[in-house]
Amino acid sequence: MSTLAQHTADARRSARRRREAFAAYLLIAPDVLGLLLFIGLPMCLALGIAFFEVDGFGAYQFVGFDNFAKMAGDAMLSRSAGVTLGYVSGFVPLAFAVSLGLALLVREPFPGVRFVRMAFFLPNVISLVVAGVLWQFLLVDKRGAVPALLRPIGLGDVSWLGDPRFALASLVLISAWFLVGYQMLIFLAALNDIPREYYDASKVDGATPWQQFRYVTWPMLRPTSLFVAIHSSVGAVTGLQAFDLVYVLTRGGPANSTSTLIFYIYQQAFTYNHYGYAAAMTTMVVAFLAAVTGLMFALTRGGRFDAGDR
Amino acid sequence: MSKHPHPPMGASSLTRRSLLQAGGALLGAMPLGACRKSHKGTTELSFWNFYAPTDQFPVPSKWFNELVHAWNANNDIKVTLRYVPPADYFAGTVLQTAFSANEGPDIFLISPGDFLRYYNGGALADLTPYLSPEAVADYIDGVLDTRKVDGKIYGLPMEVEPLAMYYSLQAFEKAGLSEADIPKTWEQLLAVARKLTKRDQFGLLFETTPGYYQNFTWYPFMWMGGASAVPGQGGAGFNAPGAIKALEFWRRAVQDGVCPRKCQGDGGSDAVANLASGYCAMQQTGIWSVSQLAQKAPNFPYGVFRLPVPDGGTYTTDMGGWAFVANAKGRNPEAAAKFVAWALGSTTPEGVERCRQWNTVAKTNLPPRKSVSQAAEREGSFAKGALATFVKDIAPGGRGEPRYTPEVYRAVSDAIQACQLSGDDPAKNAAETAAKVESFLKAYKGARML
Repeated sequence: MSTLAQHTADARRSARRRREAFAAYLLIAPDVLGLLLFIGLPMCLALGIAFFEVDGFGAYQFVGFDNFAKMAGDAMLSRSAGVTLGYVSGFVPLAFAVSLGLALLVREPFPGVRFVRMAFFLPNVISLVVAGVLWQFLLVDKRGAVPALLRPIGLGDVSWLGDPRFALASLVLISAWFLVGYQMLIFLAALNDIPREYYDASKVDGATPWQQFRYVTWPMLRPTSLFVAIHSSVGAVTGLQAFDLVYVLTRGGPANSTSTLIFYIYQQAFTYNHYGYAAAMTTMVVAFLAAVTGLMFALTRGGRFDAGDR
Repeated sequence: MSKHPHPPMGASSLTRRSLLQAGGALLGAMPLGACRKSHKGTTELSFWNFYAPTDQFPVPSKWFNELVHAWNANNDIKVTLRYVPPADYFAGTVLQTAFSANEGPDIFLISPGDFLRYYNGGALADLTPYLSPEAVADYIDGVLDTRKVDGKIYGLPMEVEPLAMYYSLQAFEKAGLSEADIPKTWEQLLAVARKLTKRDQFGLLFETTPGYYQNFTWYPFMWMGGASAVPGQGGAGFNAPGAIKALEFWRRAVQDGVCPRKCQGDGGSDAVANLASGYCAMQQTGIWSVSQLAQKAPNFPYGVFRLPVPDGGTYTTDMGGWAFVANAKGRNPEAAAKFVAWALGSTTPEGVERCRQWNTVAKTNLPPRKSVSQAAEREGSFAKGALATFVKDIAPGGRGEPRYTPEVYRAVSDAIQACQLSGDDPAKNAAETAAKVESFLKAYKGARML
């Protein structure tokens, strides 16, 4: 009798698990379908187009690997890769450090903390194009608010968007201003997940605030830091700020100093009608990013940094 | 009476089953939505343009509306206007993606700078069969050249837009300058610009944003020294003293601090945001700025003069202007071509008046047709002010905007940007650009560049 009851209970549990699994698959189905339809399919099509010369008016000519071979001799592609590297090298560490700093600043409650958090996040809720136009006004040569503020220290005549020496740095700063609020929220969530007991114990051991950050906060933030670093790097190469800001503020100028990879690919497709070549470059960029991201995940076993971290 | 006329908001109203049902319904609806596609047939032609249907300055869009209304009143195949914002039209993806998807407009506007891209792509319909010999002869000499291939006409220009220098009378007066100081040479232009440059004002403004428009504005400086982007097409090629001097001239203007590295508003073609705002005292822009200033800065006093020449050079200017074209791959290329020929090539009194309205009322341009010019002169449209200077002094000696492929345009653009804003060596850049153009020309098989 008890065996029969056991069998019945097992069968019920099994049926319930199947129903739940079925429900789970159904729930994630829209997302998976959306990804396949709007990300996976275009990626496959782009890969296919990369093997053709496409003029944008309906003519397709198979060229094999010519579009990939062409990249080797494209000086402008190398230059754009250099610009992107400079942009990533400037933006990712800056945005990372500032957003982590802001998160630490607004972690503990104080009067008006919600307003301060909102203020830091506010730039992220407006359109990047609008933000670009706003900064264009602020940075106008001679007359903008920024040159006016910097005039007393002899920087009033600097052209922040028109001088190749400063244009990329300006874009880095504007991008960081735009995105640090978002990254701050991610860090804030991770900081709030760190158990208070760890800090209490370290205090008992006589740890200074710096030692608490170094030996408690920083190790506990590693998975989040990895996510922020990858998200930020991918965004810096292919994201909106790498294109929208360039398009609105500089159009790749002055003298190609802000012509990022994604902007150069856009120009190849929509200015020069070299859709096949643009697709080939896109394929290589995606492959490179996937390889780097995969490597980072492999090295950290998916963000698990410590042996006991499961 | 219903059992639950007002279900309470909360957990009880949202069950897993209802969520799954809603998700399933949504998934089911997606393919249906994706499959829904309008099917217009060939009784309607689309006409894309970039003149905003605004209430503030409605004249250009009103002209387009009246044009289409007049056509639709007498034809079975109707034309529908579609407005595309200028930024999207000039440098965006709207046109390109439409053509890529074989959904390009039946009728659209292009500048000479874009002609080869569309012609070489097979997207331009031959308009010649729909134009009378009188209509073709009515066009001013040379105006149709950049729209022709092998004697066939693929676009009808609606306007001629020469470039000139505009200057602020107030800025001149404040600097103690008068009309007698209007510069005639490049050296004089830089000297006057230095006098006009103040803490919050530049003396001179050239376009700084890379693109077709910047090339368009720089070409006359190259031509005045006898050079050209493509060897044999009106000059000795790019690795020539004329091109090097022109690159050097723009470089000096920035290095001397008289010319900004970044324009305001919509860039170098925007006289209101730059000249009228006091950002600069002299600005190179086109005839369209006469109407810009009349509409948006009617009390701003200004003058115009023709582009200064280099020592030993010959005056010229760049004459731009947009054209109507018909899509050879559209739904009804023949009807689209007929519309274009009727709109801009009709020699009837109504046709001439329509073109006069565009060139003197809706906008300020020089008409591309002799009969329209004569009609405008009879109306006194070019009798005084800046337009009189354009007709008498600036346009004579002008040259049509060239048509180059994107590859040639890009090579020239890189040279301009490198010298103007990076201060690179003009001679080195000219040589490199000439080599790039030469390399491209070896494999080029499209229509002739002019």
